[in-house]
Amino acid sequence: MPDRLFLDIVDPWINWSWLSTHVPTILAALQEHLTLTLVALVGGLAISLPLGVAAHRWTTLRLPSLTTFGIFYTIPSISLFALLIPYTGLGAVTAEIPLIGYNVLILLRNILVGLDSVPPDVLDAADGMGYRPLARLIRIELPLALPAIFAGLRVATVSTIGIVTITAVIGLGGLGQLILKGLIESFHTPLVVATVLSIALALVADRGLAGVQRLAVPWSRES
Amino acid sequence: MNRIRASVWLIAALAALATVATACGGTTTPGTTSKDTITVAGFNFPESSILAELYGQALAHDGYTVNYKLLLGTREVLAPAIKSGQIDLYPGYAATDLEYYNSGAGEATGDATATTAKLNSHLSSIGLIALTPSAAVDQNAFAVTKATQTKYTLSKLSDLAPIGNQLVLGAGPECPTRPFCQPGLKTTYGITFKDFKALDTDGPLTRAAFKNGTIQVGLVFSSDADLNQLGLVVLQDDKHLENADNVVPIARQAVATPEVTSVLNKVDAGLTTADLVTMNGQVELLHQDADAVAAAYLQQHNFFS
Repeated sequence: MPDRLFLDIVDPWINWSWLSTHVPTILAALQEHLTLTLVALVGGLAISLPLGVAAHRWTTLRLPSLTTFGIFYTIPSISLFALLIPYTGLGAVTAEIPLIGYNVLILLRNILVGLDSVPPDVLDAADGMGYRPLARLIRIELPLALPAIFAGLRVATVSTIGIVTITAVIGLGGLGQLILKGLIESFHTPLVVATVLSIALALVADRGLAGVQRLAVPWSRES
Repeated sequence: MNRIRASVWLIAALAALATVATACGGTTTPGTTSKDTITVAGFNFPESSILAELYGQALAHDGYTVNYKLLLGTREVLAPAIKSGQIDLYPGYAATDLEYYNSGAGEATGDATATTAKLNSHLSSIGLIALTPSAAVDQNAFAVTKATQTKYTLSKLSDLAPIGNQLVLGAGPECPTRPFCQPGLKTTYGITFKDFKALDTDGPLTRAAFKNGTIQVGLVFSSDADLNQLGLVVLQDDKHLENADNVVPIARQAVATPEVTSVLNKVDAGLTTADLVTMNGQVELLHQDADAVAAAYLQQHNFFS
């Protein structure tokens, strides 16, 4: 081979030949990204909804639960991974614990705001009509709290789609794997593709949830 | 809200977190990897992915089921993971791993065998083992351009001793005070340079200085992907000035059976630093996938026959 001293390689933003041969890789990353996000949201709702209802009913629970998840929210996810790996391994459990924990705080706050905002005279009317507490919660309070809950869900969704990428450091990450690859190899293509897809995913999810909200809560004005 | 109550809640919240953390810890039993499944991990740089794929594919060819955890992170992630049995094997580097597991006690030397033996003295108590180090190294090295190499017929650092006073050395600004750099070159090899230029370690400044002829000798990393492409030649460290960062598989003792050990030793025995440079180039510069590059190497070296 002749000496090609100091050939300057200019890496294009998109290397089409790499892209064309790596479509399955990208789709797999996208699917993993969606799964991680979905689990984080469902998990977050599963914890925050009962907790929010309980904290609304028994106000002494409010501060400790908000403080717990508030502190949790401040722990950098990378250090959380390092602490969790010996116990929960290098898999989805370790990835989801911080993701779910962060979502709980966002959702819990909005659930409390939503439930607090139900007008007292509506509750009086419901009591007067003979609603038992559980029925009043499900049929009156939660529907009226839905706009605030949806607002929280949308914030949680968009932020989770971004935060999922950090789980690349424990071998997951969805699109984060491609971003990591791009960073490590100074290779623009996976970086650009994953970033664009991540942004697109966040926009689509946010618009989608706004659509669901319009169907579920037709009386609320869209924010 | 008064302050005392707030702090009580804070403590209660922390206690709750701690309880959750310990409860999670109790439910899993680490270290129960099934006999025929080996999880190979790699650090967050391409060379590590390539090495992990080389080990993993050789083991897979031998009949093991192999899982990969690549681009995982630094030793801060991999070390706890291998100690707890989340991963079984990773491609380590003798000197760097020794200095990690001995908390930077400065025990590493230029002798790969001695450094690996020392590393094993730290690994044995935590259930790990470092296997036989490869000849392939990723460590500090001194390079010259092909033109300089031809002009003075250079192959090893010793060759620089008689002609050092005609050459300019380029490296990071710390070089004149670090034992592995200028002082070491003088005491170990007897090389005195005409001049020293403070640049960077193996970065764009060093490359530019090589290009315009400001320096003739520069500090690089021995397995750099672009050495071939830049027309740089690494001079052999024949008197072992640099710490021996030979590639060495680090495995859980439970996994390192005689069969696994022999498969990995066979891979390492054939591997050279030049192979690393070539494969790093294929991944970092040509953007081929590490698994394909490793498979091609193993194929080419008759591992699959």
